[in-house]
Amino acid sequence: MLSRASILYILVAVAFMVLAVRLFYIQVVDPQYERSANNNVLRHEVLYPARGEVYDRNGEFLVQNREVYDLMVTPRDVKPFDTLMMCSIIGVTKEQLVTAMDRARRFSTRRASVAFEMLPKEAKLKIEERGFPGFHTVYRTIRSYPRNVGGNLLGYVGKVRPIDMERDEFYRATDYIGLSGVERAYERVLRGEKGVRISLVDVHGIVQGSYADGAFDTLPVPGTAITTTIDLRLQLLAEELLAGKVGSVVAIEPATGEILVMASSPTYDPNDMVGREIGRNFVRLRDNPRAPLLNRAVQSHYPPGSTFKMVNALIALEEGVLTPTRRYECHGSYTVGRSNVRCRPHYSPVDLNYAIQTSCNTYFCIVFRNILDNRRYANVKEGFATWAAHVGSFGFGRRLGSDFLDERAGNLPSVAGYDREYRGQWNSMTVLTLAIGQDKMEASPLQLANFTAILANRGFYHIPHIVRRIHDRDSIDARFYERHYPTIDPRHYEPVIEGMWRMVNESGGTAYSYRLPGLDMCGKTGTAENPRGKDHSTFVCFAPRHSPQIAVSVYIEHGGFGSALAMPIASLLVEQYLTGKVEREWMVDMVKNTPIPYPVYDNRRQ
Amino acid sequence: MPTRDNNSLNIGQIDWSSVLIYATLVVLGWVNIYSVAHDGGTTGGILDFGTRYGKQAVWIGICVFTAAAILLIDDKYYHIFAYPAYWAAIALLIAVIFLGTEIKGARAWIFIGGQGVQPAEFAKITTALALARYVGRHGFSPRRMRDVAMAFAIIILPILVIVLQRDAGSAIVYAALLVPLYREGVNGWIFVLIIAAVLLFIFEFLLTPFALLALVVAVCVAGEGLANGRWRTKLIYLAALTLGTIVIYFGAQLFFARNISLFASLLAVTLASIPAAVAYAYRHRLRNVYKYVGLFVFSLIFVSSIDYIFDNVLESHQQERILLLLGIEGDLAGVGYQTNQSKIAIGSGGWFGKGYLEGTQTRFNFVPEQSTDYIFCTVGEEWGFAGSFVVLGLFCLLIVRLMRMAERQTEAFNRIYIHGLAAMFLLHVIINIGMTVGLMPVIGITLPLFSYGGSSLLAFSILFFIAIKLGAAKRDR
Ligand SMILES: [Zn+2]
Repeated sequence: MLSRASILYILVAVAFMVLAVRLFYIQVVDPQYERSANNNVLRHEVLYPARGEVYDRNGEFLVQNREVYDLMVTPRDVKPFDTLMMCSIIGVTKEQLVTAMDRARRFSTRRASVAFEMLPKEAKLKIEERGFPGFHTVYRTIRSYPRNVGGNLLGYVGKVRPIDMERDEFYRATDYIGLSGVERAYERVLRGEKGVRISLVDVHGIVQGSYADGAFDTLPVPGTAITTTIDLRLQLLAEELLAGKVGSVVAIEPATGEILVMASSPTYDPNDMVGREIGRNFVRLRDNPRAPLLNRAVQSHYPPGSTFKMVNALIALEEGVLTPTRRYECHGSYTVGRSNVRCRPHYSPVDLNYAIQTSCNTYFCIVFRNILDNRRYANVKEGFATWAAHVGSFGFGRRLGSDFLDERAGNLPSVAGYDREYRGQWNSMTVLTLAIGQDKMEASPLQLANFTAILANRGFYHIPHIVRRIHDRDSIDARFYERHYPTIDPRHYEPVIEGMWRMVNESGGTAYSYRLPGLDMCGKTGTAENPRGKDHSTFVCFAPRHSPQIAVSVYIEHGGFGSALAMPIASLLVEQYLTGKVEREWMVDMVKNTPIPYPVYDNRRQ
Repeated sequence: MPTRDNNSLNIGQIDWSSVLIYATLVVLGWVNIYSVAHDGGTTGGILDFGTRYGKQAVWIGICVFTAAAILLIDDKYYHIFAYPAYWAAIALLIAVIFLGTEIKGARAWIFIGGQGVQPAEFAKITTALALARYVGRHGFSPRRMRDVAMAFAIIILPILVIVLQRDAGSAIVYAALLVPLYREGVNGWIFVLIIAAVLLFIFEFLLTPFALLALVVAVCVAGEGLANGRWRTKLIYLAALTLGTIVIYFGAQLFFARNISLFASLLAVTLASIPAAVAYAYRHRLRNVYKYVGLFVFSLIFVSSIDYIFDNVLESHQQERILLLLGIEGDLAGVGYQTNQSKIAIGSGGWFGKGYLEGTQTRFNFVPEQSTDYIFCTVGEEWGFAGSFVVLGLFCLLIVRLMRMAERQTEAFNRIYIHGLAAMFLLHVIINIGMTVGLMPVIGITLPLFSYGGSSLLAFSILFFIAIKLGAAKRDR
């Protein structure tokens, strides 16, 4: 047996061993205590960078930053003050001030919290001049839109959502993030890098100095500025012309795919989505039945109507089922069995040029059936698949991959889709109205503009894009430099373009009055049938005919004939872009003074 | 009592190594108290009496003089005054109950000239001396019930008075004086029962009834096995218990469609096996088997009475207090907050700490009571594991040296006193540091020689230098 003294020695040794092991564990092995200690004393204060500015293609500001000041309050340090004066400086009621003070007190009496957000500089200066103890202001920047243009195009900035924080560790709960348009598409460029100031705080949360003399502090890096492809004056004109109407305008520089104009109507004042009223304004815009927050240029898709006839013409030429000189008779309608597609009265027979010029439905019905029922293919489905592949090569039925993240694909019908719909029993007559851009065919205004650019380029396109230069980089995304070639031989374009030129310059009537003398505009109207109301008015064009500078697509919902509204709008934009001014003021007035009722939207309110 | 003709202090006989360790700990304590008070800004001089480190410096000075005086006093007076001092201290403790100032719920302080004094600290000295005198006298027999009972009474009397002051932490420390009794040969079973009671009290709340019962059975059987061997019998016995429990548990379900808990099944089988154990003891003439049976029965009765008292006698806030003390119910805002912050401060020290005066948790007051009960947090945070290990090592060395000094003593009085002192050091260090690292419940006692506070420092210094004097006197002969 051990002696009692030995047992006591062993007990002492064991006790100290236990303590030593425990100390080793919590000090050396387990890292959680060091983390907790840092959580205790280190306060990471985020220093927000200014977001990058956004310019138009000529260097004019589209988006700037405005300095604002958050009024902070430390309730413990507040001395009795002139509340009326404070209220008048900030522009709030006494109740709001009391509520804000209560909220701050509930948060902490020792620590500063935000009483009022985003005060203008004048208010900050007055507050500093009067010297209210316990109050101080904190600088930050918010967005400002000097020209009040391009709401949907530029997008807005808002508080991050939980999903953003999950996707990207950059964001913390109080951060802001681009939520739509350019702000969203170029968020990573525009946001800059946050700085951090690490302070030591005591047990009461009061700052006691900087951590490690600021060795780990970083300054914020401002966001990079962006020059967009937008032409500000053109954009302003487009929005002016669209005011009161529902629709959109897209203009592209064909040689580069640069988007010159992207207007969606109704739009909103981008300044409404900044500042203290953002919440209320957002609800108002969201609940507006005309959906001003919808960027119709990329998010809406419509039947392209007659503007689609050029697609069918090009496919027929490529497939060898049509020559430009081949004539077909038209007696006012195309009728086979019970199917009947009506046409307008015009001379007959018609060749390709004349068919495009007069937009002969009969001609294109025949051409379309010839494509589908081509004897080279075993059956109509194979013919249809060939047709659909050609159409798809123009960018229809899929997202083009522009820098608008919310771009929609539109709709390109497929064999499988029709098989489902007609249980396999269908033929070229069943889908006949695809000949004139109806049936299941749907395209976004951006896709139509891109198609027009393909015509202007005689057979290629660049993916349409909104950014021209990112200021700290040599180039924009590589995909925008790439040429994409549809499956049509370039020699087939000229006869089609000849028809478009004649449509504008030789037709007579209203269309003729919207031509641009000397500018050689080539275009095509479309009047898309709309089961829900009046026909949509659409027009695509490019100019000049040789070495084109601009391709435009205009789509006015319920606007009636393509020549009625869409064409003058496009014509004015082309004039503005090519000559730098608008001389046809009467046309501007005519467009602005043609009201369109929208019972489809406005009656929904009840 | 032996007489000596040379009572003068022989400097050469003093255990200077222990004194050096003592001095090192006191100085390190002061250095860390300074760090707690230091806030990174301007602080006054070292002797700024408005600050805690200034006051502590004064107390250290007082200790030096006191130490010198103790070393010069003839050690026979410790014998002579042991009993009168003991009674005087008891009287003072009782007086404090009525006259003292209440601090944090305990009426344990009296103020003399604006300076707070905690009599319970000084009563440690008198109690240790009185115990040494009584147990060390000629004719004391650790086998005589009356003598042992008197020795226990000497320890329990101050405990009772201090508990009446509602200063349970200080009272617990007196239990350290049981160690010299054990060393002097008092029947080991008394200590087994005391330790068993403490453990049962803790495990009562931590374990399920079945687990606790199984543990008690296992400990009793293992204890008997260690004493008597015959392990095959033990295995057969345990197998029989297991089998019986299973038969009752499932048998009740199968044949009587009644649920009997595992706990009840095991209890029934174990109780039924007691006659078998008694028969076994009788047949093999193993009288100590009865002791293990007795320990088992004691455990059952003890646990049932705790259960009864906890559920029927204590009020809910007292129940909460106990659960909190045992760490069963967390409370991050109150006591749990202290423990958590203390662990954070120590745990963030790493290998070598953040450097002197650089501890962030220390500087910004995240740990409450840091210069007194939680002074070890400063060591842990600013000096890291290396520093903590050194401090721990110094305490361990000091305690072991004191124990060896005690073992060298031929006089029972000296041996008992020094062992008592070493045990009090040990208990203080284990409970205090254990508390700061979350191993022990939050019991507000000081880290000896280290913590801020004159009473504790002076009391431990007096205790220590009396031991040094006694140790030196022995060689003096
Ligand atoms: Zn026709």
